[in-house]
Amino acid sequence: MLEIQNLTKRYGKFLAVNELNLHVGKGEIFGFVGPNGAGKTTTMRVVCGLLKATSGDVFVDGISAIKSPSSIKRKVGYVPDFFGVYDNLKVTEYMEFYGSLYGIEGSDMETITDGLLELVNLTDKKDFYVDTLSRGMKQRLCVARALIHDPELLVLDEPNSGLDPRARFEMKEVLKNLGSMGKTIIISSHILPELAEMCSSIGIMEKGRLIASGKVEEIMEKSFGSRPIHIKTFNDSQASEEEAHDNLNRLLMEQPNVKRVSFTEDEAVVTFTGSEEESAKLLKCLVSSGMLISDFYREKEDLESLFLEITGGDGNEEKEA
Amino acid sequence: MKKKKLKMNPILKKELVVSSRSIKMSMALMCVCGMLTLIVIAVLFSSGSFRYSYDYSSLIMLFPVLGIAECALISFMVPIITASSISGERERQTLDILLTTPISTFSIAMGKLNSAMAVVLMYVVTSIPFISIAFVLGGMKWTSLFGLILMYIYIGFYVGSVGVFCSSIVKKSIAATILTVVIGCSIIAGSFILYGISLSVDYHAQAEALLAAGKEASGISATGIPAILMFNPYAPVFDFFLRSLSSYSVYELVDRACNGKMNGFWEFIYKAWIPLSVLINVAISLLFVKCAALKISVTRNKKKRKVKG
Repeated sequence: MLEIQNLTKRYGKFLAVNELNLHVGKGEIFGFVGPNGAGKTTTMRVVCGLLKATSGDVFVDGISAIKSPSSIKRKVGYVPDFFGVYDNLKVTEYMEFYGSLYGIEGSDMETITDGLLELVNLTDKKDFYVDTLSRGMKQRLCVARALIHDPELLVLDEPNSGLDPRARFEMKEVLKNLGSMGKTIIISSHILPELAEMCSSIGIMEKGRLIASGKVEEIMEKSFGSRPIHIKTFNDSQASEEEAHDNLNRLLMEQPNVKRVSFTEDEAVVTFTGSEEESAKLLKCLVSSGMLISDFYREKEDLESLFLEITGGDGNEEKEA
Repeated sequence: MKKKKLKMNPILKKELVVSSRSIKMSMALMCVCGMLTLIVIAVLFSSGSFRYSYDYSSLIMLFPVLGIAECALISFMVPIITASSISGERERQTLDILLTTPISTFSIAMGKLNSAMAVVLMYVVTSIPFISIAFVLGGMKWTSLFGLILMYIYIGFYVGSVGVFCSSIVKKSIAATILTVVIGCSIIAGSFILYGISLSVDYHAQAEALLAAGKEASGISATGIPAILMFNPYAPVFDFFLRSLSSYSVYELVDRACNGKMNGFWEFIYKAWIPLSVLINVAISLLFVKCAALKISVTRNKKKRKVKG
C-alpha cells in the first residue's frame, strides 16, 4: 500500500529525512516511533502531499505522491496532531463541508456522516457546535473527517497527544476498529506501549533515519537480551551485607552474559544480554551455589525501553529546522 | 438530457454559514447602516431640509456623497475581511487539512474572495433604502443605481483580491490587513506618481522642442499619458461619478487637456474608459488571486519550518 523509496527532505542545511526506505502492506497498522525532530511528521506530510520531497519517491497504492500529489488525495486521509476547527459550525456541517470538498453531497453525505459519527462514537453530538466538544471528541471527529472519502491509507500524526487517559482509550478503540475493517494506518506517537498494543509493525526513526523497523514481536525479540534482571537475596549467614554483595557480584560477573552488576538498597540489578533460557540457567547457577534467592525477575519488554535503548536518549530533545 | 447541477464552491458555502452566525457580521451591518444614516441626515440638514427653505441643488449631492462614502467603507472593510482569510486558516491550523483535499488552491482563494463579495453584496442590499432616498429627492436614474452597485462589486473584488493575496504571504491576520492597506495605497499613489512623472517628461520634451520654434508648451502632447491612470482601481469609479454628476466624462477632460489633438485610437480608449479600466483591474485582481493560490500551493518549495517529529 505504501512504499517509500530513498526519501530525503532538507530544510536548508537541516536534513529532516535522510534516505528513508519503508514498506507498509495493505491492512497493516504501522507505528512511527522516534524522538522530537526525528523526521516522523515530515515523512507523514510528504506521504500526504503536504510537502515536496528533496529527493526520493513515495508510492501510495502504486501512485507517486511526489509526481502526482493530486491523484493520491483521494487515497489518503490525514489527521494532524492539532484539530483546527471552525467556530459556529455544527458537527454535521463540519462533516458536510469536508465531504463537499470530495464531491460528496445530499443523501450520500448524510449516510456517510451518520456511519462515521457512529464509528467514532459521536452520534449524540451531531447537532453540537464543534468548538464546544472536548479535546478527545474533537480528535475523534478529526478521524471521522479523515475517513469521509473512504481513503485506503489513513495517516495519523500523534492522535493521542494531549488527551486524557479516557480519551486515549476511546481513540485506541476507534483505531482498533479501523484496523479490523482492513484500513492501512500509519500512526505516530510518543505513547509507545499504546502503539505496541495497536500496531502490527513499527519503525523507529532518529535524526531522519529509520534505525529499526519490522513486526512488533520481531523488534521485541531483538531487544529481549538487553533487559536487566533484578535479584533479591536472603542473607542468613554471619557475613555482612557488604560481603554478601561482593560474593553475589563475583558470582554474577563469572557468568558469560552478565555485562554489569549494580546494587540498590535491597536488590542487585544485572545487565544481562542472554536469552530467556540463559537467564533460567543463571538462576539455577545462583541457587546451586547456595545462595538464597528471594526474588528473581527480568524486566518486561516494552517499546519504551526499546525506544530509549535504540535511540540512546530520553527522546525529548527539540530540534529546530 | 440530464442537467448538470451547478455546485457552489464549498469554501464559499462554509464561509457564508460561519459568517452569518457571527455577531461580527450583524455589528458591521449595524455600523454601516448607522454611518449611512448619519450621512443622509447631514446632507438633508446642510440642504436646509429641516428648515422652511430648501436648497434642492444640494439635495442632489445625496447620491454621490452616499455612493462615495460606501465605496470608502467597502475599501476599508473588505481588506479586513479578506486579510484574515488564508492567514486565519493558518492560525486555526485548518489550511493543511484543506490542502490534503482535492480542492485546488485557486478554488480556496476564490472561495475566500467570493465570501467577502457576498458580504459586500449584503452591505449593498442594506444600503439600497438609503440610496433610494435620492430617487425621491432627484439627482439619479435607475441606471445610475445599477451602475453604482456594479462599482461596489468591482471595488470589493479588487480590494478583496489584494487582501487574499496579502493573507497568503503573511502569517498573521493583523499584519495581512496592514499590508493590504499599504499595497492598495501604493497602487493608487503609484499610478498618480507615474502619471505625474510622465506629464513632467512630456512637458519638458515639448518645452525643448517648442523653445527652438519660439512657442510655449501647452497641454499634453502624448495623448496616451492619462491612460496610465487606468491602472488605478478607482479610475472607473471616478468616471462613473463624473458622468453621474455632470455632463462631462474622462474623455472630455482628456480631450481638453490635449487641446483636441487626440487620434482615433485614443478617442476609443478614453470613451471606453469605464469598461476598459474595469477589465484591466479585474485582470490584475485575478493575478493577485492566482499569486495567492501559488503561494499556498504545496508544490512550491517552502521556506524552513519548525520540524516537530
